[in-house]
Amino acid sequence: MADNIYLPSMATVKEVRPETPDTSTFVVTFDDPTLRESFTYRAGQFAEMSIFGVGECPIGIASSPTSKGFLEFCVRAVGTVTNAIHDLEVGDKVGVRGPLGNSWPIEEIEGKDLLFIGGGIGLPPLRSLIRYVLDNRDRYGAVEIVYGARSPQDLVYKDELREWDERPDVSFYVTVDVGDETWDGPVGFVPPFLKEINPSPENKVAFTCGPPIMIKLVVDALEEMGYADADIVTTLEMKMKCGVGKCGRCNIGDKYICRDGPVFSFEQLRKIPGALEV
Amino acid sequence: MQDKLQEVVRKLLAEGAVDYFIGYCQSSQPYRAVPCFVSDESEVGKLVWGPLCGQNLSKYVLRANELDGKVGILLKGCDTRAVVELIKQHQIERDKIVAIGVPCQGQVDHRKLGKILGVSLEQVTSVQDVGDEFLVTVGEETKKVRKEEVLLDKCFRCKHPSAFGYDVTLGDVVPFTVDADAGEYAAVEELEALPIEERRAFWRKQFERCIRCNACREACYACYCKECLFERKTPRWLAAPPLLSENEMYHLIRAVHLAGRCVDCGECERVCPMNIPLGSLYRKIQKDVAELFDYEAGMEMDTVPPLVNFELDDQDPFM
Amino acid sequence: MDRKKISKSDLGQWLDKIAEEYELIGPTEEDEVVQFRPVRSSSELSLEYANSLVPPKSLFFPPVEGLFSFQKRGEEIRLEQIKPLEKDRVVVGIRKCDVESLLLLDKVFCEDLVDASYKERRDRTALIGLACPTPPRSTCFCTSFGIDPLSPEGSDILLTDVGKDYLVDVATKKGEELVALADDLFSKLTEKQAKELQPPPVHMPEMDLSELREKLEALWEDDYWEKLSLPCLGCGICTYVCPTCHCFDIADVGSTSDGVRYRCWDSCMYKDFALMTSGVNPRPTKRERVRNRYFHKFSTFPSRYGTGYACVGCARCLVHCPGGVEITTVLEDILAKEGGSGG
Repeated sequence: MADNIYLPSMATVKEVRPETPDTSTFVVTFDDPTLRESFTYRAGQFAEMSIFGVGECPIGIASSPTSKGFLEFCVRAVGTVTNAIHDLEVGDKVGVRGPLGNSWPIEEIEGKDLLFIGGGIGLPPLRSLIRYVLDNRDRYGAVEIVYGARSPQDLVYKDELREWDERPDVSFYVTVDVGDETWDGPVGFVPPFLKEINPSPENKVAFTCGPPIMIKLVVDALEEMGYADADIVTTLEMKMKCGVGKCGRCNIGDKYICRDGPVFSFEQLRKIPGALEV
Repeated sequence: MQDKLQEVVRKLLAEGAVDYFIGYCQSSQPYRAVPCFVSDESEVGKLVWGPLCGQNLSKYVLRANELDGKVGILLKGCDTRAVVELIKQHQIERDKIVAIGVPCQGQVDHRKLGKILGVSLEQVTSVQDVGDEFLVTVGEETKKVRKEEVLLDKCFRCKHPSAFGYDVTLGDVVPFTVDADAGEYAAVEELEALPIEERRAFWRKQFERCIRCNACREACYACYCKECLFERKTPRWLAAPPLLSENEMYHLIRAVHLAGRCVDCGECERVCPMNIPLGSLYRKIQKDVAELFDYEAGMEMDTVPPLVNFELDDQDPFM
Repeated sequence: MDRKKISKSDLGQWLDKIAEEYELIGPTEEDEVVQFRPVRSSSELSLEYANSLVPPKSLFFPPVEGLFSFQKRGEEIRLEQIKPLEKDRVVVGIRKCDVESLLLLDKVFCEDLVDASYKERRDRTALIGLACPTPPRSTCFCTSFGIDPLSPEGSDILLTDVGKDYLVDVATKKGEELVALADDLFSKLTEKQAKELQPPPVHMPEMDLSELREKLEALWEDDYWEKLSLPCLGCGICTYVCPTCHCFDIADVGSTSDGVRYRCWDSCMYKDFALMTSGVNPRPTKRERVRNRYFHKFSTFPSRYGTGYACVGCARCLVHCPGGVEITTVLEDILAKEGGSGG
């Protein structure tokens, strides 16, 4: 039989890194050595992670394709499958089906200044692109990263955030909704924080990912600041099963989020009836 | 009767007594009437009443919970049993409903009609109640069909409870009696008489056909849970694929959940696209409840369904 | 194209010959429900039938299908694929509406990333269609979609009932191979003979749907969907009996050490169909779900796949809806709405 598009490839968990109380990064490598070498993807794509006997779950690939031989997934434990993923230990087997979906517009943004705005667990999908850009630094212009989470505990990639903060070729801004004794940085929600920073729309593309309400307010703020809809790009989340545009579940209008997305510009979204209600 | 009904509904709408009225209207297919939601006086002319109105509309009454106002609804005697239970089970308040009662002398099971006439149902252009018989127009001809041959199974057991006080009645709503030699639980007793292996084989054959479309659940007044047991993922009681093992459990569990609440409205069997005789399964549950608890759902307003009730002197021989 | 005829009394013999080499599938009746099932002999078939309850899409996109099995062996997990078919198959008695539905489903499953098991089933199954010289049911409205019940397009062979015989149109090479299994039972027809036997074009109530898509798309925010959601029970029967519906679920059955990953039919009409674990539901009430269904059939499917409407006018949904929602009435209502290019 020809390739079974529903058949995952076997992979092994190499590392588990807790990020926040309910989120961890899982580093996996494919068991098949040829696949390990040949597997390619583009920043922004996702994969379906399988826990056999429990089910599958679409997770954004958080590593950049410039890092070879492994994949990183940042998973929050919310449902049956993600909780089963959190039970995984180093050496356990998982299935990985991918890469799926479209990707960030990597080529179109060359030479432009880039603004990344993430909220909470919205950072991992952005991080794939951030790492790719930083690994190909001279192809891109200025890099600004604005990130916020509910509390200092809920910031993901804490070590990497420090790295970005220290890099001279990145402008890094971080805030939390509510601070604590360890925190001496800015406190406040991402949208007003963004307005304070007031990054110029000139030659710039903005990428945002986070809770729906944050995205809405961020986009409002960006438009106020003069950003065109075509220059605001996001990645959508929908319930998915097949991941290959056949099971009819993840559609908005005539688009399947798993095939035509999950990355969309706001110019595209405004043309689809019902897209912005989601 | 139909004119009287339309007049009453027109008045209810004009007075603003209800946000909308739930009744029956003629389908594009002449052999059945379908549910109709009338919110404007101009639509009242669509409402019909006759022997093609077998569907139980009771479940639609729950929509009133989303409204500030009330809903009006046309209820046959048998349908009121479901509404009585909905009130007793705290799913709707009596004062959210304006109920119109209507005398019913039997409803047509259109599958039986098709069989008796030996024609495809689409050729039936009208069905009239003329006392002991139905006058059925098929193409150019008019045929008389004896009621016993084409009635819905539940009509043979017409009880008409007095528990539910209608707000308006369009005539004397009394039980309909038909000479039938079938006992109260005839179909069930036939199955009970089979040796257990045959009974199991019978039901397995039926459940294999089940496609788990969930129509029986959605049509059932008693399945009003916001999240059905079978939709839960943690724990996952049933897997989605319609394998025999899952189908069997679905039907048996749902039947037990209906114990003490099933009002014999027959919707489950009517809506099943696979002709699974769910009526027999649920009649069995009703029979058991009647024998164990001397209780029939929907007949009285001031009794508590037995499976949500306890008395200090309840028997517990299993302890 | 080659036109032949076979007498009704000989048809069974030919089909039995087919059953020796292939898995023969056709309409059978059990407990008054007509379903497409494999048969061992043609005597099991009920070709005098209107249409099957569950459409024959179930033979290509089954209600439940194992995608692969998994077994834990020590530290390793072994995945084993499941063969979709044992034998090549021949389906006899399929109606034109259902053949058309397969052509629409081919767009979903055989384009872009190819669904291998669907494709294998399609490639290894021959279709012997059964023409409808008159509409099988008064609810049929296939011609509104430009479908001609007497056309052999999409089938390998088309049988048309002409009284004592069937007219036989052989449309493909595969069809020729099947006829060759019992060549002597068929008589060739001259053009004149065929013309005499040919029934007239099928007439049924027809709607002009040319403006449907435009009118529908203008109704996205209309309160029509709220009204339509009132009688709708959200039961999903319409999607289960619809020949063009293709939504499915994927679920693992078994334990973490031994089980099967299945694919099974699902329905966009269910409340939790698109419900995310976070609790966000893009189609939270019946209104959104009912609207989504009609838009899918008459706007977004055609837009995505470049086809006509994704409905074949079989009206199974109309016949089986417990809430009395009638697709023909909905389409009429949409066409009657003002706005867009004149009523």
